[in-house]
Amino acid sequence: MLSLVLILIASFFFTGIIIRTKSISSGRKGPGIFQPVKDVWRLFKKGSVYSETTSFVFQIAPVIYFSSVVMAILVVPFGSTKGIISFDGDFIFFAYVLALGKFFSIISAMDTGSSFEGMGASREALYSMFAEPAFFILMGSFALLTGHTSFFEIFSTLHLGSYITYALGIMATFVLVMIAMIENSRMPIDDPKTHLELTMVHEVMILDNSGFDLGLILSTGYLKFAMYGTLIANLYIGELSLLYAIPAFFFIQFAFAVSVGIIESFMARYRMSHNPQFIFALSSVSLLIFLGVLLVLGKFV
Amino acid sequence: MIGFATLENSGFLFNIYIGILLAGLIGIVIISERLKPYLSALVVLLISFITSVLAIKGISSNGLEFFIPGGSFIGDIPLRIDALSAWFMLIINLTVTTGVLYGIGYLRAYKPIKSVITLHWVLLVLFQSSMLWVCMVQNSIAFLIAWEIMSLSSLFLVLFDHTDSKVIKAGINYMVQMHLSVAFLTVAFIWVYFKTGTFDFKGIGTYFGSNANLWLFVVFFLGFGLKAGFMGLHSWLPHAHPAAPSHVSGIMSGVIVKMGIYGIFRVITFLKADYILLGEIVLTFSVLTGLFGIMNAAVHRDFKKMLAYCTIENIGIIGIGIGVGLIGLGRGQNVLIFLGFGGALLHVLNHSLFKSLLFYSAGSVYQQTHTRDMNQLGGLIKKMPQTALLFLIGALAIGGIPPFNGFISEFLIYSGLLAGIQSVDIAQTTLMVVSVAGMSIIGGISVFAFTKTFGTIFLGSARTELHHEPREVSNIMLVPQYLIVLVMLSIAFFSGYFIDVILTILNGVFNVNMEVENIDFLRYSLVLQHISLYSFLFFAGIGLLFFIRRAITRKREITYNSTWGCGYTAPTSRMQYSGKSFTKPLSKLFNFVLIEKKNFNELKNNEIFPVSRKYSSSYLDFWEHWLINPAIKYLGLFIDLFKFFQNGRIQAYVLYGIVFILIVFIGTVFNLLH
Repeated sequence: MLSLVLILIASFFFTGIIIRTKSISSGRKGPGIFQPVKDVWRLFKKGSVYSETTSFVFQIAPVIYFSSVVMAILVVPFGSTKGIISFDGDFIFFAYVLALGKFFSIISAMDTGSSFEGMGASREALYSMFAEPAFFILMGSFALLTGHTSFFEIFSTLHLGSYITYALGIMATFVLVMIAMIENSRMPIDDPKTHLELTMVHEVMILDNSGFDLGLILSTGYLKFAMYGTLIANLYIGELSLLYAIPAFFFIQFAFAVSVGIIESFMARYRMSHNPQFIFALSSVSLLIFLGVLLVLGKFV
Repeated sequence: MIGFATLENSGFLFNIYIGILLAGLIGIVIISERLKPYLSALVVLLISFITSVLAIKGISSNGLEFFIPGGSFIGDIPLRIDALSAWFMLIINLTVTTGVLYGIGYLRAYKPIKSVITLHWVLLVLFQSSMLWVCMVQNSIAFLIAWEIMSLSSLFLVLFDHTDSKVIKAGINYMVQMHLSVAFLTVAFIWVYFKTGTFDFKGIGTYFGSNANLWLFVVFFLGFGLKAGFMGLHSWLPHAHPAAPSHVSGIMSGVIVKMGIYGIFRVITFLKADYILLGEIVLTFSVLTGLFGIMNAAVHRDFKKMLAYCTIENIGIIGIGIGVGLIGLGRGQNVLIFLGFGGALLHVLNHSLFKSLLFYSAGSVYQQTHTRDMNQLGGLIKKMPQTALLFLIGALAIGGIPPFNGFISEFLIYSGLLAGIQSVDIAQTTLMVVSVAGMSIIGGISVFAFTKTFGTIFLGSARTELHHEPREVSNIMLVPQYLIVLVMLSIAFFSGYFIDVILTILNGVFNVNMEVENIDFLRYSLVLQHISLYSFLFFAGIGLLFFIRRAITRKREITYNSTWGCGYTAPTSRMQYSGKSFTKPLSKLFNFVLIEKKNFNELKNNEIFPVSRKYSSSYLDFWEHWLINPAIKYLGLFIDLFKFFQNGRIQAYVLYGIVFILIVFIGTVFNLLH
């Protein structure tokens, strides 16, 4: 329950911080931190334009996309408090529920019959597919390390053995940050600020969404960022008492958002054809974590 | 049903079944053409009912056994219905029942000659029974006969559209490969016979008890694997499924490939040693099978071929479960046996449901549009909304996406792999982690493949002008599909019941006492209950949010306009993203497995002005291209060396006869042949 509330709070300012960081690093003042939330609020109050080509899929897809992320958030724990949903193997549920949302966002892009939106859909499907093994190898390694298979138990027992697990945590942070960037279609993979449809991934998929639906899709993006931020925070919080854990949580979310902003300011997007290789390379970092776990457990002797 | 179940003598029920079968077959032949489909459906339903009663008795009474006389050559044929057979029998009955109902509607669009229709329905009834026999018979010779009837009846069902040369070619391909499978099985059974002197399946257990387990299992695995469609042994599937009428491909993909899985399970029940090694082999092979299947499924434009490759993927997933279970047997860890074998058995049921659903709805599309090329279609969701919805449900379920049944079985297998990670053997740990990653890629590409297929066929706008306007199909074709969806949802929301049945099967068949570690099973069945509950809440949440959205947006202004063309003002429907363009990035990445064949004329130096030219591309099957076709080519070249025997001169042929007789004569006289 605590994690849900915290993620909701974090999602309010997360994207604002990214935008603010980008503004400052490019020498501008930039909009207020709550501007993205205000944008969504404005969209909720607007009317919509639908394409004549679309069917009911286009109408339900944003709702399912949003619900799937909310459902995934329910699984995420916070330090020593469980998520609302917690069971053995819940991270599989987490990944597959997110896949449902992705499925619908992809087919809703194809529902418009556009020559561009299918392109974004194809890329999104491809990139998120490549990100899956990195996540699963990461969680599998932690399952091996801790002997548990639920988010809550993995995160709360991660650092019980030795301090070397913090090193693994840093590598895991890298993997999770990159997965978050892929899933949210941010910089090294996709440029949310580009103006050419041919080079877009996520933005081109939602060209035809407007009004309430667009608001839902945008807010799903904010939630997703905060959700991955929470996973990262969980790598470090462990058994800390709430008094320290909550400030630590906000600090990590803040640092995550700032670093996303900095990455976006100082990096160019990769070439579209190189993206899959880059994403696949993430799996090798996960494999390194796996090897690290084997070392920690002394299996190499 | 209770009245039947109290009958002591199962043989009596079996006799009734045989009676109905014979009467049904004769009846279908003589009855008027209009009634043939209905009579066949009735016969299938009756047979399903009676054999399901037998199967349920088999599960509840820990195995039935009775003998039918098989003449002096075979002797008494033992029929044993244990829980494993029963599980597969129930799956067969369910799928064939929906298939025959769907088939009534599907064949209405065809007006072929009378004899073909009669043959079709007779074969369909026979097909069901032969599969049931395969599950029951436990005598090698009788088993091979039943196996052969099953292969041949399905072959002739595939050849329904026998005027099409491609169908004939696919049929011959199927026939040859099925007989390769029979050859492997025959070798295996004869091997057992020479070692133990019995054709009874119990002999296999005796053999495994006193000999090395590995090689006989491998021979069996090759034989059954050909039927199941493991990678490298799969190449009949992508040809036979598109060629067959859709209800037949639904049944074939739903259950006939599962007969291969049944065979593998049956052999596993007799294994005595080498579990770990065999488990590792099966696991590795299955992960590769799954990856291979789904990668190919993602790129093909013929949607029935795509579904056929997807069957290979699911066989891979089932195989992963079997591998985990075998490793569990080797380690003596009941949790692994439960999660591995249990997941595999449940996935067999799940796959038979959603794959037949997908084939039926794809068949409805084919019936209305007469094309299997998805890049010719588009926008069918407006013309055939119910078919589109059914296909969408099937696509979600087969991707293992949570509110549906596919997730339950995949979750069990995932849990098995995660439980298997904890091992003293580093090789096993690594294998399990890599398999988890493999399963996740399979799941990812599966989403990719099915969004592409669903999006291209049903969404957007029509890409080509069709001969006639597609309409929603008749109710008799829709009802069986809704029935399947109902069963699928029941698995998703009441998984506990199915898990109980699977536990009974595992307890009865693998002689492992599952009660000992009861706490573990309790844990997992609790988890599954949770998942069902959360899935339900998830559904409810989506519904609620949708309702809120409706309430809010109702007051807002809504306008309809054409799709945003990014500034281009004259778009045509041919400009839509096609299935081919959707998968191009994937096929480019994996071009070492997905071999693309392009047909076009290179532009010459002096060709300045454009003229109309043709370009086509298709994907070749890796194994067919690099292994099977070259092997056949060189075999042909080798056999050509002996062509001089067949020289067309009668004198020479007479001479061969005389030489042969002389050899036999001399051999007998001098006792050389003995």
